[in-house]
Amino acid sequence: MRIRIALLLAGLGLFCSAASVVAHHSVTGEFDPNKTVTLKGVVTKIEWTNPHARIYIDVVQPNKTMVNWNLELAAVSALVRNGWTRSALKVGDTVTVEGIQARSGASIANARSVVLPDGRKVFSGAADQ
Amino acid sequence: MRNLLVISALLMTALPLVAQTQGQPPISAQRRAGPPTGPVPRLPDGTVDLTGVWVGGGPINDLEREGGLKPGELDALMLPSAKALMATRDVTMEPHNRCLPMGVPRTTPFPFRIVQTPTHKAATHIFILQEGNIHSYRQVFMDGRKHPAELDPTWYGHSIGWWEGDTLVIDTTGYNDKFWFDRRGHPHTERLHTIERWTRKDLGHMENKVTIDDLGAYTKPFTLTFMATLSPPGDELLEYICQENNQYGVQTIPGFDVTTGETKK
Repeated sequence: MRIRIALLLAGLGLFCSAASVVAHHSVTGEFDPNKTVTLKGVVTKIEWTNPHARIYIDVVQPNKTMVNWNLELAAVSALVRNGWTRSALKVGDTVTVEGIQARSGASIANARSVVLPDGRKVFSGAADQ
Repeated sequence: MRNLLVISALLMTALPLVAQTQGQPPISAQRRAGPPTGPVPRLPDGTVDLTGVWVGGGPINDLEREGGLKPGELDALMLPSAKALMATRDVTMEPHNRCLPMGVPRTTPFPFRIVQTPTHKAATHIFILQEGNIHSYRQVFMDGRKHPAELDPTWYGHSIGWWEGDTLVIDTTGYNDKFWFDRRGHPHTERLHTIERWTRKDLGHMENKVTIDDLGAYTKPFTLTFMATLSPPGDELLEYICQENNQYGVQTIPGFDVTTGETKK
């Protein structure tokens, strides 16, 4: 039953994923829309918080070192109104994230999409929904 | 047996949530389908009932455009001092980013709930409870009092309200000059005086016609029109503690000062 709900929600999430993850502020002030990043890594922490939910993932660099990325999502209230609960993703899950990087060049990004290995998109949602 | 009872009790509390999730699409999808439809609801005494969870009804990005003015129309009303102040602002500096309130008439992507408090008498207060960008409330005195002669400047000012037919009029003075009307940074001064006219058009729509009178920043008063929509049944205000994990500008913008919101170039 739980899985069915999760799948249903994932499907809806996919449907809504075109929307940006704009939340309580203007994203482009902090993040550079021209610096798109695609990151594949293992979830080390999930912060189900406001004004943004965040996930942190370990990404192996080409030189085999590990970098922990801090990924900003929509506000929890926006995610909840999109049908998500924090259990849709777990520490240890591998995800592929597309986003735009911080203007400072730090390993921080605003995530546009978070995708599980089976293709399910999680935590999509904009704050205006 | 005792365990069974505990389990059933747990299940009973969990079930409504599951049922709700299964039976209805998420609030966001319901909102996209449009607000609820129907006639304007009224209290037993005939007063329009404005209570409910609403979204919108004010500017976010651009006061001029979202308020229904022509491009350049608002900027043409700005005094040189206001133009000069606005020219110093960029979107990273707005108080909003640091979890400060948005003032009036600005809104956020988050909903607000209007609460009228009638008993056997008409409401003496109307409250506007804001979910975001920080939890806060506006308090509208409906008991006929006047504005005090002297007011300490505040984010939401001092609001008195009355009904003109089916329109709720909210007259507010005593604002501080700290909030921005929009992300573009349209400014105001402590002379700001707003007159909002909230008219529920039908069950799902509520118009806000707001006059902004601030001769400290604009050459004459001007009026803007916004529309709020009712959130679907089942939507409630959610906890939104903006200060909990606000990382705005921290390590993302080079030279950003989290205390002032300014960036050292």
